[in-house]
Amino acid sequence: MSDLLQIKNLTVEFQTDDGPVEAVRNVSFNIPKGKTVGLVGESGSGKSVSSLAVMQLIPNPPGRVKNGEIIFDGENLLDHSDAKMRKVRGNRISMIFQEPMTSLNPVFTVGDQIIESLMLHKKMNKKQALDRAIELLDQVGIPDPKTRVHAYPHEMSGGQRQRVMIAMAISCEPELLIADEPTTALDVTIQKQILELIADLQKKYGMSVLFITHDLGVIADIADDVVVMYRGDIVEKGTTEQIFKQPKHPYTKGLIACRPMLEQNPARLPTVSDFMTVDGKEIDYKATPVEKTVRPITSDQPVLLEIKNINKHFPLHKSFFGKVTEWLRAVDGVSLKVHKGRTLGLVGESGCGKTTLGRTILRLIEPTNGDIFYNGTNITELNKEEMREMRKKMQIIFQDPYASLNPRMTIGMAIMEPMIIHKIGKNKQEQMDRAASLMEKVGLKPEMLNRYPHEFSGGQRQRICIARALAVEPDFIICDESVSALDVSVQAQILNLLLDLQEEMGLTYVFISHDLAVVKFFSDEVAVMNKGKVVEMSDAVSIYKSPKDPYTKKLLEAIPRGIPKTMLPSS
Amino acid sequence: MIRKSQNSLWNDAFQRLKKNKLSMVCLFIIIAYIILALGCKLGLFFPSFNETNNAISYQAPSAEHWFGTDFMGRDVMARAAHGTLTSLTVGLWGTGLAVIIGTLLGSLAGYFGKLVDEGIVWLYTTIDTIPYILLVSAFSLVLGPSLYTLCIAIGLTTWVGLCRVVRAEFIKHREKEYVQAASSIGASHARRIFTHILPNVFHIVLIQFSLGFVSTIKSEVILSFLGLGVEPGTPSWGVMINNAKQELARGVWWGLASATLLMFVLVLAFNLFNDALRDALDPKLKNKS
Repeated sequence: MSDLLQIKNLTVEFQTDDGPVEAVRNVSFNIPKGKTVGLVGESGSGKSVSSLAVMQLIPNPPGRVKNGEIIFDGENLLDHSDAKMRKVRGNRISMIFQEPMTSLNPVFTVGDQIIESLMLHKKMNKKQALDRAIELLDQVGIPDPKTRVHAYPHEMSGGQRQRVMIAMAISCEPELLIADEPTTALDVTIQKQILELIADLQKKYGMSVLFITHDLGVIADIADDVVVMYRGDIVEKGTTEQIFKQPKHPYTKGLIACRPMLEQNPARLPTVSDFMTVDGKEIDYKATPVEKTVRPITSDQPVLLEIKNINKHFPLHKSFFGKVTEWLRAVDGVSLKVHKGRTLGLVGESGCGKTTLGRTILRLIEPTNGDIFYNGTNITELNKEEMREMRKKMQIIFQDPYASLNPRMTIGMAIMEPMIIHKIGKNKQEQMDRAASLMEKVGLKPEMLNRYPHEFSGGQRQRICIARALAVEPDFIICDESVSALDVSVQAQILNLLLDLQEEMGLTYVFISHDLAVVKFFSDEVAVMNKGKVVEMSDAVSIYKSPKDPYTKKLLEAIPRGIPKTMLPSS
Repeated sequence: MIRKSQNSLWNDAFQRLKKNKLSMVCLFIIIAYIILALGCKLGLFFPSFNETNNAISYQAPSAEHWFGTDFMGRDVMARAAHGTLTSLTVGLWGTGLAVIIGTLLGSLAGYFGKLVDEGIVWLYTTIDTIPYILLVSAFSLVLGPSLYTLCIAIGLTTWVGLCRVVRAEFIKHREKEYVQAASSIGASHARRIFTHILPNVFHIVLIQFSLGFVSTIKSEVILSFLGLGVEPGTPSWGVMINNAKQELARGVWWGLASATLLMFVLVLAFNLFNDALRDALDPKLKNKS
């Protein structure tokens, strides 16, 4: 079997203020003809840089390829002139990006964007190109392609836009398709469709695919071979089955173990640091996994939060006289109960109303109608002052740790602010001491208190956000997609931290996520939301074992198994 | 690895600014002007700028009077130096007033939206429709020409641009998660506006202040040239340029030359410094750490 692409000893260097940094070191791997190679690693591991090097799209300066060869079909791409490279790019090698919302030009119709490369590379005239574009849209599963070809990107959903991106990428029938996290921004059900589409097209055109992702579950579904990268180095490569059955490198082992899986019920997630030290030394990890048990609701766990028939409607269209003619029912008659010291998981796809519900519970968004009882008090009836008092007990941790900390405030100030507002602690020194002990509680060094948020990694920032939420000693915390923006290994650490804190402080959580596997691991009860309504609610294990609602079933089926097809029990 | 909070974003910006040699030269020029103006104010430099001597009117530059004398026999160099004081005073107070009004109204409009926003937008669109010179002359006519009238007139008419920019930034920031996080811990409106959002848009205010400063200096010159500026007798570049209308016919060029030269160097330094400041403070140009 011949290799379409060979990367040999590739080193890419970036100039920074602190001198040159090697983003990728001595990386070598091959992509065989007609096969899919999965490139896995966390953010900053160098996986995207490697693929950009293949396309010669590394911004120079500050980046440059220091040494190595990239042999595509017998020719070293690094020797190609700009003009020659342009003939390869988009024609023989093409690329799909992560963010379908921003990678299409909003002022052109999707047809215009597809025919551009057809006219450029295949020398078609406009009529031929348009016919081909319609054919391509049909192939990627866009309904009614003849009219949709004239649609603008904003008229399409995220999944459809990603399909258009794929249509553009395959328009010139490339020999190699580079897919850089193509499904990360999509819902699981859409992700499944896109993955199937890529696999189908690959068979049809006999393409090779380089599939880049941080999600091992996706890799298991789609890749033939896997390359694992860690901090610019390749730590392991092999067939998908080898990697999943007998991972050799401790990092790979950790990566596979730390991902919550639907089939298992661990009480805690192992993390990469259980398998290796930061500099890559293996730790002998032999802890026997403790099975999570279904905790029955005990008598000392009274109902802490009860939501009765809550609605939040947003006006969509107004008539000329200002009368609302159409409403968006973001939250539509939801009733829930959360018991003290337990976790309710709220799961659903984007736009199902789970985030709106979470913010409505805290009255960050005012509900249209309905009642919210917290510890017997109806908080929808509280005035501003009483509500401020109530905020001491109810806290929220947001999704994006980059956006939820004020960049102009030291993290010490961020953690102390709630104490200042609620007059906790006698003086500044006492508040400072409390902030320091909170830092330790969430696993950070207290010396870091006078640093600014941009000096921290995503996981560290999320720890800071947790510390800030804990500063007022709340009983109840809403975690709104709090681990979704983090790498899997970091996600496992944060989930474990949240579990530890729950045990230690008796916290009650509402855990909002789109990831059913994470919700199942983390929650006692799970509520599935669709179109503003709760369609099913049950304890975490039985909702997975015997889902009743068809929507829940669909959601469960769409989750990548995280096991290669050849290893599934049925095959 | 204990580091002090030396690398705040402001500090980063200053470090970047320091690397730009040209901007540092400009900063020194601006500081030199400020020292000159302060010296004039305290009477250290050119205390005899108002001394008239009709016997030596319109003398060409000489060893005694480097820039010559004007029609009343006053030293042109002293007049021009004191013109710096007038310019910088108007620049500081005029722009300062505009920045305070613009920032305050802009943040209220952007943060609260709805009726507050509509009211403030109505106010600034109305002010914006009246020609600027007309508005300033109305102020001067009502309050009588003086340095402080000029500051108030400029301040009350030039806040619109800044108000728009600040309003837009506040609309962008009020939906951000860090502001929601602040409201979830019970922070009041004032706290959200002044401790959270304002520091995040303050670099824009600073840049606008610096830009406004230059245009205010130019406004003072133009208004004084038109006779709407400072009261008669106050040294001002605009008055000097205005006088040059008659002087040039008689071959007297030094009054015009010295006022123009001083203004040219100051405005150039300010403009170049502004460009560097904008680059240094723009978070988009900053590489992520």
